[in-house]
Amino acid sequence: MIEVILSLAILVVRTSCLKSAITLLVALCGAAQAQRTVAPRALPRTAQGRPDLQGIWRPQSRAAYDLEYHAASYGVAPGRSVVDAGAIPYQPWALQKKLENYAHRKTADPLGKCYLPGVPRIMYLEYPLQIFQRADQVAILFEWSQIYRLISTNGKPPLHAGIESWMGDSRGRWEGDTLVVEVKSMNDKTWFDMTGNFHSSAMRVTERYTMQDADTIQYEAAMDDAKVFTKPWKITIPLVRQKHMDRLLEYQCQAEAEETNGAFERDDRTWYPQLAPGQQPPAPPAALPPAGPLPPVRTGANLRRIANSRQTPNGRPDLSGYYEAEPVGANYGLEKHAEDFLTPESKGALIDPPDRILPYQPWAKAERIDRELPHRGYDDPTAHCFVGGVPRSIYVPSPFQIFQTPNYVVLLFERMSWRVIPLDGRAHSPDHVRLWQGDSVGRWEGDVLVVDTTNLNGKTWLNEVGDVVSHAEHVTERFIPVDREKVIYRATVSDPLVYTKPWTIEFPLNRQSEELLEVACHEDNGDLQHLKDVRDDYRAHPTKKER
Amino acid sequence: MIAITVLIMTATVLAHHSFTAEYDQHKPVKMTGKVTEVKFSNPHSWIYIDVESEGKVVNWALETGAANALIRRGWRKEDLPAGTVLVVDGWQARNGTPTANVNTVTFPDGKKLFAGSSNEQAKTK
Repeated sequence: MIEVILSLAILVVRTSCLKSAITLLVALCGAAQAQRTVAPRALPRTAQGRPDLQGIWRPQSRAAYDLEYHAASYGVAPGRSVVDAGAIPYQPWALQKKLENYAHRKTADPLGKCYLPGVPRIMYLEYPLQIFQRADQVAILFEWSQIYRLISTNGKPPLHAGIESWMGDSRGRWEGDTLVVEVKSMNDKTWFDMTGNFHSSAMRVTERYTMQDADTIQYEAAMDDAKVFTKPWKITIPLVRQKHMDRLLEYQCQAEAEETNGAFERDDRTWYPQLAPGQQPPAPPAALPPAGPLPPVRTGANLRRIANSRQTPNGRPDLSGYYEAEPVGANYGLEKHAEDFLTPESKGALIDPPDRILPYQPWAKAERIDRELPHRGYDDPTAHCFVGGVPRSIYVPSPFQIFQTPNYVVLLFERMSWRVIPLDGRAHSPDHVRLWQGDSVGRWEGDVLVVDTTNLNGKTWLNEVGDVVSHAEHVTERFIPVDREKVIYRATVSDPLVYTKPWTIEFPLNRQSEELLEVACHEDNGDLQHLKDVRDDYRAHPTKKER
Repeated sequence: MIAITVLIMTATVLAHHSFTAEYDQHKPVKMTGKVTEVKFSNPHSWIYIDVESEGKVVNWALETGAANALIRRGWRKEDLPAGTVLVVDGWQARNGTPTANVNTVTFPDGKKLFAGSSNEQAKTK
């Protein structure tokens, strides 16, 4: 701009019309000034005045294949380098190791085993991601394996510092209009891309998220790892807003792998039917009659709930925070039962039907009993570290975070999965789109958050003793805040393929001053082989009595 | 170390799958051995100990609680260095490998390391 102004000035001066030139210069400078002030105003901003990074984004880059300039090969799209100096500044030994990694990349790439990709690799996989933002936190959700990053921007140090993990510990701060995130404590098991570019556990990553316009975030990640590189280096990748997407879907890497290689087997009784291309989805089964009136919430006399809960500026309860479900034993059976060897007791989470017995159809009751046999332990999807589904994810023995914004309630489960609940009145996804965590839509009924979930895939169990649900499952959840730290959780499940009528569970969720950690379940699953051995032994000797 | 062990006495083992399916209640095991490795992981941590019997050394894998539960109780894997002698009772895996779900882990002087079984969880909750 300045160059243009100067050229124009020279041109005008040459015409010896100084007065006009000054007038023109003032006008041009004024225009330039206006541009500088107008551009930032064009960015969407939060109530706190920060750039509003929220939305669905996708990297515009081929960095997922190779960070450096690379030609195409079979299955590898060509791309330009996203590294500032063109090439990664490896120490000599490390370059040798990278070349070894490259030679073995087809089997050695941790992402090929569906392991957590680490930072920055997760940011430029070719899957969309969604950013949610609060004054004190930013959450980034990924379609890839439904993982997420929860980034505190409140300036406080981590509660449990120095715990090594796959995705590291991320702490953010705002520098002007740029979100700066420091990532530490990552292990040395992740790569940067498919070519074997790697780092050590000493690596620290500094990310910078700068909105360039309403639809572009400039993403930078600076890598500092004196054990592997000769100097720090950085990558720059634009993240582009995906205006045509209104929600993330799921790519459950390990589940897809095990369904393909046969390690996780289809059950036609509960799973959504496999549709051939062009085949019409089946008509849904006739719905069960609605549940009768439920007993009042078991909370004592506290009916002035809203007055006692935390509130958002628009007068809704603010449910945000770290929660643990009160351990009523739902993960060991929804009906009340005593401890049985290593299966803990369940106090019974059912409040309806009044007899607190699940209203199973005969086939499903038989299946439920069969699932308790040792050889069926392998069939529980969570034994494979797949996500828990709805409502199980709430009551597995692991905490979760509620991340609430005016338009969404997001549930982040420590056992690495998420649920996004839009509050904008939208419809569910098309019926044949089937998901592990289903498709949820929410609304406020007074101070109660009501969540309606459909589109479930029927692959999940309700707990480790095998209470049954199918793809016809329809869940209505109620989050009922009763005081500043307690939410009563209710879930009514209606599944016409499995039950004769709907049923409802209830238990408290307790907000605590804690932080989520990482559960890298599939990466460290030492149990599955044992369960598979038991299953395989049964198949080889089906008449042998199981104990 | 002792202060920490008292703190985590009630550390619970909550499974991500059925322990009853994996372990055999008809195969109770008792052993004394030296720690070779502690794997702090989720959904379960593992303590590996060398157990000597009839001149042979067998490395047993002992399944315990989730690393995150232990971390929140202030425990770190460095708190159980290699060479520490532990007395363990529990149940062996059904597949016959030297793997056990632990009921109790104690030091030779009888102090408990932590309650390691889901049974204990059932009693404490």
